[in-house]
Amino acid sequence: MTTLDPSKAAGLHGAAGHEHHGSYLERKGSFWVTVWDWATTVDHKKLGVMYMTAVLTLFFLGGLAALAVRTELFQPTRIAQVEVKNSDGTVSKATKITGQLFAAPDATSVDKGNQIYNRLFTLHGAIMVFMVIVPGIPASLGNFFLPIMLGAKDVAFPRLNLLSWYIYLTGSIFGVISIIMGGVDTGWTFYTPYSTTTDASYFRVVAMILAAFILGFSSILTGLNFVVTVHKLRAPGMGWFDMPLFVWSTYSTAIIQVLATPVIGITLLLLVFERVFRVGIFDPALGGDPVLFQHFFWFYSHPVVYVMILPAMGIISEIIAVHSHKAIFGYRAMAYATLGIAAVSFLVWGHHLFASEGELVAMVFSALTFLVAIPTAVKVFNWVATLYKGSISLTTPMLYALSFLFLFSIGGLTGLPLGTLATDLHLHDSYFVVAHFHYVMMGGTIIAFVGGLHHWWPKMFGRMYNELWGKVGCILVFIGFNTTFFIQFILGTQGMPRRYASYVSEFTLMHQISTVGSYILLVGFLVHLFNFLHSLVLGPKAPPNPWGGLTLEWETDSPPSEHNFDHEPIVKHGPYDYDRVVPPHWDPKDYPLPAGAAARHH
Amino acid sequence: MSQVLMLGQKGLEDLLFRPGSAADIHSAETDSLFIMIFWVSVFFFVLLMVLMVAFVVKYRRRPGRIALSSASHNTILELAWTIIPLAILAVMFFKGFWGYMNRVVAPGTAIQMNLVAQKWSWTITYPNGESSPETMALGASDNIPIFYVPANLPVMLKMTSTDVMHSFWVPDFRSKFDVFPNRYTSYWFTAAAPGPGAKTLTHKDGASFPYEDHWLFCAEYCGDKHSEMAGIIRVVSETDYKKVVYDAWGAAKPPAEIGRAIWKTRCASCHSTDGSKNIGPTWQNLYGHEVAFTDGSSMSEEQMTGISFDNYIRESILAPAKKIVAGYPNQMSSFAGQLSEAQINGVIAYIKSISEKAPKEEPAAGGAPADAAPAAPAATTTPAAPGEPAKK
Repeated sequence: MTTLDPSKAAGLHGAAGHEHHGSYLERKGSFWVTVWDWATTVDHKKLGVMYMTAVLTLFFLGGLAALAVRTELFQPTRIAQVEVKNSDGTVSKATKITGQLFAAPDATSVDKGNQIYNRLFTLHGAIMVFMVIVPGIPASLGNFFLPIMLGAKDVAFPRLNLLSWYIYLTGSIFGVISIIMGGVDTGWTFYTPYSTTTDASYFRVVAMILAAFILGFSSILTGLNFVVTVHKLRAPGMGWFDMPLFVWSTYSTAIIQVLATPVIGITLLLLVFERVFRVGIFDPALGGDPVLFQHFFWFYSHPVVYVMILPAMGIISEIIAVHSHKAIFGYRAMAYATLGIAAVSFLVWGHHLFASEGELVAMVFSALTFLVAIPTAVKVFNWVATLYKGSISLTTPMLYALSFLFLFSIGGLTGLPLGTLATDLHLHDSYFVVAHFHYVMMGGTIIAFVGGLHHWWPKMFGRMYNELWGKVGCILVFIGFNTTFFIQFILGTQGMPRRYASYVSEFTLMHQISTVGSYILLVGFLVHLFNFLHSLVLGPKAPPNPWGGLTLEWETDSPPSEHNFDHEPIVKHGPYDYDRVVPPHWDPKDYPLPAGAAARHH
Repeated sequence: MSQVLMLGQKGLEDLLFRPGSAADIHSAETDSLFIMIFWVSVFFFVLLMVLMVAFVVKYRRRPGRIALSSASHNTILELAWTIIPLAILAVMFFKGFWGYMNRVVAPGTAIQMNLVAQKWSWTITYPNGESSPETMALGASDNIPIFYVPANLPVMLKMTSTDVMHSFWVPDFRSKFDVFPNRYTSYWFTAAAPGPGAKTLTHKDGASFPYEDHWLFCAEYCGDKHSEMAGIIRVVSETDYKKVVYDAWGAAKPPAEIGRAIWKTRCASCHSTDGSKNIGPTWQNLYGHEVAFTDGSSMSEEQMTGISFDNYIRESILAPAKKIVAGYPNQMSSFAGQLSEAQINGVIAYIKSISEKAPKEEPAAGGAPADAAPAAPAATTTPAAPGEPAKK
């Protein structure tokens, strides 16, 4: 268990490590002084909190767009011939649009209402992918906890971290400007030649593409920072296999971000070139090839699916271990599976093109896609096995972890008929795909994110949230989510294509069930929002280790002091050694002791 | 017992795919592969969830109860749950690849038809050069083209697009393929014959024949009317197919009627004929009325008649971007190479026919009537309740 001496590696662990500091949340003076302090901070915790605020705000915005989309789909659009009484008493026939939420009252064609619908689903997708799910967990919880879990004072390059934040903010502002100017209707995938020829203004499309481009740089810099931090700033005594699994997953994510993001950067830049300077790259009218864009796009965007899910898997590992006081079953297999998923993720992009390319591409990418299923399945088996003989506490984070296992299993298993070539020809670009990736992206990533927020909330803000309302919110989200999305699998197998503003009458009931589900989902998230806000103001003070966790963040104060640790921590045990180590700040009155640990409790 | 299982299986298939919807010779193969994956998934899902719930109940935290020691890993168990899924996945892969090859490689004997996709319509050109003049209402569209195809014969579509990407999906055939603007892709099927309970239509000669309709959807997002870019694949027997496509459609028609058929299947998604504003300008009263363009120029009433009107329409069809009517976006792509001279003449004749200033006689039509709304070709009668495709 020898590691590089982190104090020599980056000079961050100085003699100052022995001073006692106040909470990182303490005000530095007047209001404006505090604002300036936060705006220029290089403290990874403050940056994490700011990212969290931005991500949750954007999540709310993207969610509203989704609700608008679902509301439009509550009724199919129809054109009816109605009789209109003229002022002179005569009756004439007129065309009337029904079932269209965004139609003007006098519309005689569906196109204007459809245009608004198309902008809304693009808005929803682009915000949720580029601004919420991709940066969400690494930038907020990752920034806050990666250094603490390693026993470090900060990330390896704190100033670079601040720069990443401002790049993220700039990218998001570009995106929001594009939306305020009227939005884009390309879908979050920007497929050519549609994206280079759509009549949405040059400026808006270019602004949205630039937003994604700029956000990519934020990802790359954060990823780089995390990789170096994990390599160089582990506390004395912490070997690679003493790292918590959240660190492993954030580390694997960071590698993907550094390696894959430049490709989307280049692709989007080429797209801007084509749009602005009319250089033929992807548009056949200019001599380009639209399939090339799809390859470029998915070469980035498929690995990024794992950027979205790996940190979520890390959170689930932490929650399950801590709230059942058990070592993660097959820890090494989990770590290798995480790296394995990251590696294979680069080789599966072609499965988005089964209905575009020929047999060879289909065969190779179908086989590679099935490979990625194995480490994913291993992880789910390991999580369930971890529960065996544990002491399982059904707290809100644990309920979220169990909900993750339920939803992510469905998400993963429904990936099978999409990876299978013959069935994918039917299901590709249908609602089945929509349901599948929502089960993975939302049932996986967002559910884990919200679970992680509850798990670490007491540590981040020093206040407990209300358990009862946390559970109520969790159950509402679970019910709402399944009501919204499960029915979409059947819509897909029955023939409903995605990105449709309307549909044939046979699908009406199923769409209505889905829409009702989305409103339940909204109520669930609002319960969480109010619970969190209530906790910030009125929540009881949190102890340093409310769940009895063994990883290093539970050794710090709640909230942590500015430099995280009063003394440089020295790691003497693994992150999940519940059967031989007593958790720090342990209060046996509150929680029973794990077996084995009791004997050592002197 | 086995009967109950069979009923359960039938119920599941009906729920997943709509009753009796499998309409291609390979549909059943795809469905059974899906059902196999479904049961494998259900097995693993139930296994995981039963274990999860059982552990949560049995090992829930209780006062005085502590976490018990257990193995931190188990090599045999871990190998088992790595290798067994791998073997199952290998089976799925091979079955999937087999089915995919069946779906994408057309037999050499297939009847070839050409398909052109564009924002926002589908056109199939039959081997005799005809294209379908028939339409019906589906979803939010009044004019969805109906494509007659012969049952029990392999048909291959050679597909291309004139603008952006589209994707040809017939859910009942359980297959789709993308349509690109810079290359041909193909799609083939062998449709099952209409079943015993199928609806019927009548030929011109009064003989009735069974048919079965299947939805055609665009599955690749293509803009404003993506959700209205639909079609109907109407499966009839080979004899009835020939009677409709070769005998009825192939017969000589007056130009305005040809033009109206083109409008219904190709132009109606953007141009109305009743004066209402759509993505493009209406065709009603276009002839003989002044029009202003976005570049500030205009054509007078005089210029909108005679040969200069014909030239304007011709230019608008072949090079639509040259003159954009004020108040409309530049959305239309060129129809160059897609419409024959006879068809372009037909469109011009049809536009003239729906103007209040329509010329009394069409010289090219040889005295054919150019009334305001030429009757739809009487090859078939429209089903009693148009709206959604008929199902068995």
